[in-house]
Formats: sequence, structure tokens, C-alpha cells
Amino acid sequence: MNSTVTAANEKTVIPRQKYHLGKRMFRDRYLYLLALPGLLFFLILKFVPMGGIVIAFQNYSHYIGILKSPWVGFDHFIRLFTGDQFWLLLRNTMAISLLNLFFFFPLPIIISLLLNELRSNRYKRVIQTIIYLPHFLSWVIIVSLTFLMLSVSQGVINQVIEMAGYDKYPFLTEPKIFWLMLTLQSIWKDAGWGTIIFLAAMASVDPQLYEAAKMDGAGRLRSMWHVTLPAIRNVVVILFILQLGNIMDVGFEQVFLMGNGAVSNVAEVFETYVYRMGIQQGQFSFSTAVGLFKSAIGLILVVMANYMSKKMGEEGVF
Amino acid sequence: MFKVNRNSWWKTSFLVLIALSVVLAGCSSNNQNSQNTKGNNNTSSSGNAGSVPAKEEPLKVSIMSHFFQDTPPDKGGEVQQRMQEALNAELDIQWVSVNNYEDRFNVTVASGDLPELVLVRDPFSSVFRTGVEQGAFWDITPYYKDYGNLTQSISETAWNLTKMKDGKNYGVPRPRPTEGETFFAIRKDWLDQLNLELPTTTDELYAVMKAFVENDMAGNGQTVGFSGYVNPDNMGNFSPFISSFTGANGSSGNVEWKLVDDQLVYVDTLPETRQALEYLARAYKDKLLPADFASLRSSQSVDLYKAGNAGMIVEKGASISEYLSAMSASNSDVDYQVLYPLTSINGYNPRAGGFNGMLAIPKSVPEEKMKRILSMLNTWMSDEAYEIQQWGIEGVHHKVENGKKVIIEEKFAVDSIANYNQIVFKHGPYASSYGDHHPDEMKEAFGKIQEERTKSSVPDYSVGLYSETAQTYLPEIRKKTQDLKIKIILGNKSIGDWDAHVETLKNDTTLNKIIEEINASYNARASE
Repeated sequence: MNSTVTAANEKTVIPRQKYHLGKRMFRDRYLYLLALPGLLFFLILKFVPMGGIVIAFQNYSHYIGILKSPWVGFDHFIRLFTGDQFWLLLRNTMAISLLNLFFFFPLPIIISLLLNELRSNRYKRVIQTIIYLPHFLSWVIIVSLTFLMLSVSQGVINQVIEMAGYDKYPFLTEPKIFWLMLTLQSIWKDAGWGTIIFLAAMASVDPQLYEAAKMDGAGRLRSMWHVTLPAIRNVVVILFILQLGNIMDVGFEQVFLMGNGAVSNVAEVFETYVYRMGIQQGQFSFSTAVGLFKSAIGLILVVMANYMSKKMGEEGVF
Repeated sequence: MFKVNRNSWWKTSFLVLIALSVVLAGCSSNNQNSQNTKGNNNTSSSGNAGSVPAKEEPLKVSIMSHFFQDTPPDKGGEVQQRMQEALNAELDIQWVSVNNYEDRFNVTVASGDLPELVLVRDPFSSVFRTGVEQGAFWDITPYYKDYGNLTQSISETAWNLTKMKDGKNYGVPRPRPTEGETFFAIRKDWLDQLNLELPTTTDELYAVMKAFVENDMAGNGQTVGFSGYVNPDNMGNFSPFISSFTGANGSSGNVEWKLVDDQLVYVDTLPETRQALEYLARAYKDKLLPADFASLRSSQSVDLYKAGNAGMIVEKGASISEYLSAMSASNSDVDYQVLYPLTSINGYNPRAGGFNGMLAIPKSVPEEKMKRILSMLNTWMSDEAYEIQQWGIEGVHHKVENGKKVIIEEKFAVDSIANYNQIVFKHGPYASSYGDHHPDEMKEAFGKIQEERTKSSVPDYSVGLYSETAQTYLPEIRKKTQDLKIKIILGNKSIGDWDAHVETLKNDTTLNKIIEEINASYNARASE
């Protein structure tokens, strides 16, 4: 009991750096207690299950359990890298991701710049609400809508094309436009939703800057270029880094639902492959290895992008 | 003192937290314990009571099965109540949609939390095989013969074909008729309108489809000759076309092995498959197939037929009821002619294996309880118990006319009672061609077709054969081949690409190893 009293006394005397970790923890015990549920959450639900990754190096069988399953080292990775599916998967995944990055990523920024310039708040809100809406539809619904619009036999668009005297176009079974279809769907669904963060960043720009720019004779485009964009630059960079981390994730539901026999060599990505191998065929170890590879690439990309952005004088994610 | 209090408060709260987690953990294990003891009670009481089941406590059993149609049967429904009384059991049935049962089964197996009676749709899938090899399921070979109905209502062929590699039975087969297997069914009313004969060869089939389309039998410009779907790794409902050329039968869409001079040959390398692809590509070009067949789901392809837009589909005669009720909505004149089974094409029609999956009991179930589950299935197959699911409740699901029971189709379908057949099914030899409740005229016609088919039906010689390499690598070969097949039919690739692919397949070391292993497995079984 004495020690606690002295510890409390010392707090005021001794500079912070000289505290031992234990003592510092004890001093901030309530903060730690406050953090405890969160820590437990991450520990139990995020870190402990990661132990399951070992099955990527085993011939895992669910009947005998993780501990007794035979160890095979890198066999599954070798099978993945030497299999002829690998390059196909990599190509499809990267193509879909890069298309998203180049066409989808800049759109919310452009839309929010446009929205930011609107005078009427009421009009702006109405537009915002409308473009947010598709975000709340599930992929199942969006894909069904796509089928209804574009299928050859019943699709509305194909019926219009036919009435105009042209040949029907097989939108859903044409491999050439499959990736483009995915990008367009993503844009339709989420471009509006993506504006939220940018609009919030723009709202925090000091109005004095705009006034000053106006005084200096800057027009709307000028102040957009020299005031708004620099102000949201770090938000853009952070989102870009996060996006890079997801480059191997193209979204299972969308690709899986849009896929069919005619387009399957452009529609097979790592996620659908994991599903096919793991869930459908019960090759759990192999599909874990595929998933692990995918995550590792994502991690490397995030770390690299973060490093680059710090090099260029921007704030990183961490 | 204040500090001391705070300190102890901190300690207390930490202790409380720990205590709480211990209690929570305790709770869950208590639950398990209590369940276990319950289970034990059940079974210990049953040990000596096998002869006097009436006095037993009802057997609580969890079951996982798939269901067809839109909704599964109601758990608290009166039919299930009556069945439970008859079986002296409390059934806790997890109904899983037929569309993703395989996924669900694999995930359930991986989670290690298997129900006490599980439908195993493919007894030869790698997931179930490994389970058997590692002792996760009960070997029921020593037990099942004690139950009369299990051996009477389920054919010996079915028991034999579902034996695993070690020659033992790890599940109760779900019996199905061997004849009257799913094959082409045609709009005979359209044929009659056009004065055409039932087709017997692929060329006649083509001519008939073409006539349907050219005369726009649907009357809306949407007529197609055939409606079907393809799977990502096999030809799905289009496989009967290919089989009609190759004469080889397979199961669940994968038709891969043909018996030639006692050797199993991989059918995709046969010239007949090439012919079939050219045939289908021509059919697609002539607009005899749905323009978007490659993106159709199974249910969509069925809807196309139900809407009266297609002249042919792949179906069983006995499934006619749902088509009839859908089609009669727009045209009350329709009768069984709208789904008329073809006898054979090029002399080929498929024979079924006499079973469709099986019911397995995991090793986590105690022996006594396992026996009681078998005994429950035995009771379920008795006429008295089976009658409940066959006819439903009098006045609700069937009525008695002239001393004969007549199903009230609508209510019977709404309550989806037929789904209990997915767990226990009893059948006569004609059950695939028609049901008891169908009109006599149809029974006679479809029955004759089945008898005719029996003369030439081809079994699947590859059922139950095992190849380690195939488990890992065949799916990828299948997928690549299937991709190419679709592209050839759509006209995106030429038949020359197919020849090149077949050449690669023939030289593929993995595939050759699979062929070798499958043949070794076949010979091993043949010599038994």
C-alpha cells in the first residue's frame, strides 16, 4: 500500500520518460481498462484465428484437426505458382483492380468537386441522396438488374437495339467487355457513396482561403485547382494507399454472380478460385495458401505505397 | 485510503471480468454436458428398450438435408407432428437449399459440428472419403441388416454401389429407381400439331427442334428448340446431347468415362465429342438454343420451358406436376403431352445407379443412439409412417374419391411435403416416370417408354471409382475443357481449337495418370 502512495507521489516529481513501462501502465490503468474490451476483441477474433493459417502448410483434414494434420511445407504454394491457372488468376485480378483504380477511383473526387461548387444546398442534398442510394443495394440485386437490362433474349437494352435495326449484342457472354462491365457496375454502385469522405474534407477548408483567392482574382476553376484540391490531397493519398492494399480483392460477390461459362477465363479471380477450391471441393489447405498469398501481396503493396508517399512528403496511413 | 480503494476497485473489476469469462465458458460447457447427459439418458434407456419402442422417450435427432422448391416444410407443421408421433422422435431438420448444399456440407464438415444424420450427396467426394478414411463416420455394415425395411426397400445394388473403398457401407443409400432416369422430354403436343414423329436420332432431333423454331410454336417469336443450362465445369443439362453421340453415361453432369473393350476412356478425347460440339454449335447458330444459355441458371432454364417457349428440356417424367401447374395457368387444355419423355436417341438412354446420395451418421453419435437412428429410419420406411409424407393429411393434402386417395396438388405443393422424400423415399420401379397420383393414361404411356428404355439403358461405369490425382487436378482440366466447349458452341472458337486441345489432353501427363488410376480402380472392383 505504501508503494502505491509513493508511486503516486513520484508521478509529479519524476519526468515521464524515466518511468518503467509497468509503472506507466499502472498509472494509466483506467485507460488500459477502457481499451481492454477492444484489445480482447482484436486478440480473440482477429489474432487467434490467424493461427489457422498454418493449414496452408499442412495437408489439413478437418477430421483429425490442425494439430495432427501432416506437415507439407510449401507444397501448396508450389502447386499454385506452377499451375497454369496462376497467371490467368493474376491477370484477371490485376486487370479488374487496375481498371477500378484508374476509372473508378478518380470519379468520386470529380463528383465531389462538382457538388462542392453547387450554390443551392437543397439541390446538392437531393443529388447526394440520389447518388448514395445504389450503395445500399446488394450485389445480387445489381447483378439481377444487369441481367434484366442486358440479357440477349429479354434485356430491355437489347430490345431497343433490335428495334433500332441493329444486331443484338451479347453483353453478358462477351469476354471482351466483361471487365468493363464490372467497372461500370462498381461506378454505378459506389461512386456516389465515395464522395462522402471528400465532401467532408472539403467542408473543412478554411473559407478565408477562398476569399483570399477571390481577392487575388482567381476564378472558380483556379480556386478549385489551387485551394480545394491541395486541401484534400492527403485524404486522396490515404485512400489511394488503402485502395492499393485491396488490389488483390476485387469483390467476390460481384465477380462470382456476373461470371458464366462463356466468360469464365476472364472472370476467374483469386477470390472465386478460393471459393471453388476450398468451399466447393474441400481443398482447404490449398485454398488457404492461395488466400495467404493474396493477403501477402496486399500487405507488401500497402507498405510500399506508404513508404513512397512519406518519401514524397505526404502523410502515410501509419 | 482513497488510493487503496481505487486500487482494490480496479482489482475487483478485473477479477469480476475474469470470473465472468470463466462463468461464461462454464456455461457453454455445462450446456454441452447437459446435452451429453441427455443424449446418454436417451440412449441408455433405449439400450434394453429396443423391443418396446412405444414406452421410450422420443428420440431427439438433428438432420441435415437439402430441399427443392421455394420453401422447406414447416417445422411445426401438422405433417411433421404426425410423423414424429409415428416415429417416436423429435426431428430437428436443417433444410438447406439444393443450390448450395455441397458448399454447406463442406463447411459443416470443416466446422466439425455435424448433425446426427447427414445427407451425403456424393459419397465419393474427396471430403466424405477422407472423413471415412479417418473414421469420422459410422460403419453401418454390421448393423443395417437387422432392420428389415432398410434391406427390403433399398435395393442390394444401391447398397453395393455405395460401398466405400474398403468395401464397407458408411451410410444408408437413398433409393431411386434405376430406370426412367432424367433424359430428354419433349412437347409432344407441338409434334402432333406439326405431324411429326418422336425423334430417335440426333439428326431427327435437330429437324424437330428446327421445325419448332421455324413455325414459332410459342407464337411470340421467342421459340427455342431446347432449354437448358451449363455448369462452370460441365455441360449440365446439355450433356445428354453429347452422351447421345458418345453413348457414355455419367453422374451429376460430369460425363467423362466410356467403357471400350473393358477399358475406361476419357470421353472428351473421343471424336464423337467433337461431333457433338459441332452439332451444338450449328444448333446455336440456327437459333435452336436460347441465345444466352451460357448465362442461364438452372431455374431460369426451367422457367423458359414452363413459359411455353421451349420445345425440349431434360427432365424426369415424374416431375411433370410442377410443369403442368405452371403451364395450365395460361392454357387450361394442357396435359401430360407437354413433357413427354423420349425413349432413346441414337440408341442411347441413361440408367441410374439405384441410389442418389446417402444418409451418414457421424462417429460423434454414441453407438446406442446410432442404432436408434437406424431403427427410426426403419420405422420411417414402414408403410404406416411413410404414408403420412406420401399423402399428407386427409381433407388438407388429399381427399378420398371412390375409395381412392387423390392428392390436392396445390396444398401439397405449398406445404412442400414432397421434400420429406429427400430424407426417406420409397419407390416402385416406375417412380421416376410417374407418381401414384398421376392420371392412368399418362402412367400407361410413360410406363411403356420406360420399359422400352430398359432394353438399351447405359449405366455409369465410373460410379464410385477413385483416383487420388483426379481429386486434385481433374476439376481444373474440366473447367478448361468446359470453357472451350462453350466458346465453340457460341462460335467464338473454331473446332480446330478443339482438335488442338484434345491433342494437349492426350499428351497431358496428369490426365494420363488419372486415366491410369481410374482404370486400376475399375479393374480392382471388377475382380472382386
